[in-house]
Amino acid sequence: MNAPDRYERFVVPEGTKKVAYERDTKIINAASFTIEREDHTIGNILRMQLHKDPNVLFAGYKLPHPLQYKIIIRIHTTSQSSPMQAYNQSINDLDKELDTLKSGFEAELLKFSKDY
Amino acid sequence: MEGASYARMPRVKIRELKDDYMKFELRDTDASVANALRRVMISEVPTVAIDLVEIEVNSSVLNDEFIAHRLGLIPLTSERAMAMRFSRDCDACDGDGQCEYCSVEFHLRVKCITDQTLDVSSKDLISSDHTVTPVDVPGGDASIESDGRGIIIVKLRRGQELRLRAIARKGIGKDHAKWSPAATVTFMYEPDIHINEDLMESLTLEEKKEWVDSSPTRVFDIDPVTQQVMVVDPEAYSYDDEVIKKAEAMGKPGLIEITAKQDSFIFTVESTGAVKASQLLLNSIEILKQKLDAVRLSEDTVEADDQFGELGAHMRGG
Ligand SMILES: [Zn+2]
Repeated sequence: MNAPDRYERFVVPEGTKKVAYERDTKIINAASFTIEREDHTIGNILRMQLHKDPNVLFAGYKLPHPLQYKIIIRIHTTSQSSPMQAYNQSINDLDKELDTLKSGFEAELLKFSKDY
Repeated sequence: MEGASYARMPRVKIRELKDDYMKFELRDTDASVANALRRVMISEVPTVAIDLVEIEVNSSVLNDEFIAHRLGLIPLTSERAMAMRFSRDCDACDGDGQCEYCSVEFHLRVKCITDQTLDVSSKDLISSDHTVTPVDVPGGDASIESDGRGIIIVKLRRGQELRLRAIARKGIGKDHAKWSPAATVTFMYEPDIHINEDLMESLTLEEKKEWVDSSPTRVFDIDPVTQQVMVVDPEAYSYDDEVIKKAEAMGKPGLIEITAKQDSFIFTVESTGAVKASQLLLNSIEILKQKLDAVRLSEDTVEADDQFGELGAHMRGG
């Protein structure tokens, strides 16, 4: 049988980088990030978080094909920032948000099990 | 390098909590985060499930692969799964997937020796690890009826026998649904309902009743004392637009305005029992953090690019 292994969907093949980026050759401060073995889960949260950054002029993502297990994020920023800086900033912000969520939920869980 | 932070401060409030069910409110964030949590809970939080079956004897009416498939679908308690290794990257057993770090062994030996049909169930599976066992179906909920016999695998008649060895491994729902810890995870936008009181008072009691009844779910009711229409359960509204259409049909457009709050969500999480519903959310947050961490560019890449990237790009582009 020639069916690809199921883990192909989420295991990055050896010799492939998880994230690779390429600056646009014509537009200044624009770049495309190719993220291997990720999907809408990561693509959409990064896109929405990038939209919160006032230095980001454009942020979008696509899943080129359902059988190509990668996403492409395109970012265009002002000269005050760079696509790579905005990209990492969005990840850090989401990470912080999840920390807040986690501690908030743990506190709520403690309060809830005490109250009931 | 350090830019301003645009991180939000989401809030959570638990409404209902049982071992295998949880309802909570999530506020001050957006749909992308809510949906990421939902997707991770369904397909990326790891559990343990039977993945390899060696059959010694099977004289039952079901064939070997049928039984192996049924065994795979039995939820196993998986509190340990987050700390376990995936067999494919376990170096203790060289990818064999049979060591204590990445697997749990099960044995099943049953033979029917009476004229009474014998039910072989998940209770007959003997685990090598007491923390990983088939789930006990009702999660401390007396309202769910249980006969305490576990999940039936196959039925045997006199003389039939089933003897096997099974290996359970860590996995995720993306690989195979048997590894999904979630029975269902849903979220809805919290509705914001505004009644135009002046217009509403222009309706007769009869018309009010008719309008209230036009909603397929019980969102509104009439106060028996004041005879005013009131919202009794905003979350029963399923964004079906029926009451809006009804208001228009009655010649009263604008009688009601219903919008979805873009930053408030009501989640329901139902677990298979592999992990507690509350733990499922915590694990999903952890997994999502790990995923984000994996896609972060290293600091030196960013710095090197800040210095030479733009120049390089222009030289390449000509
Ligand atoms: Zn191993």
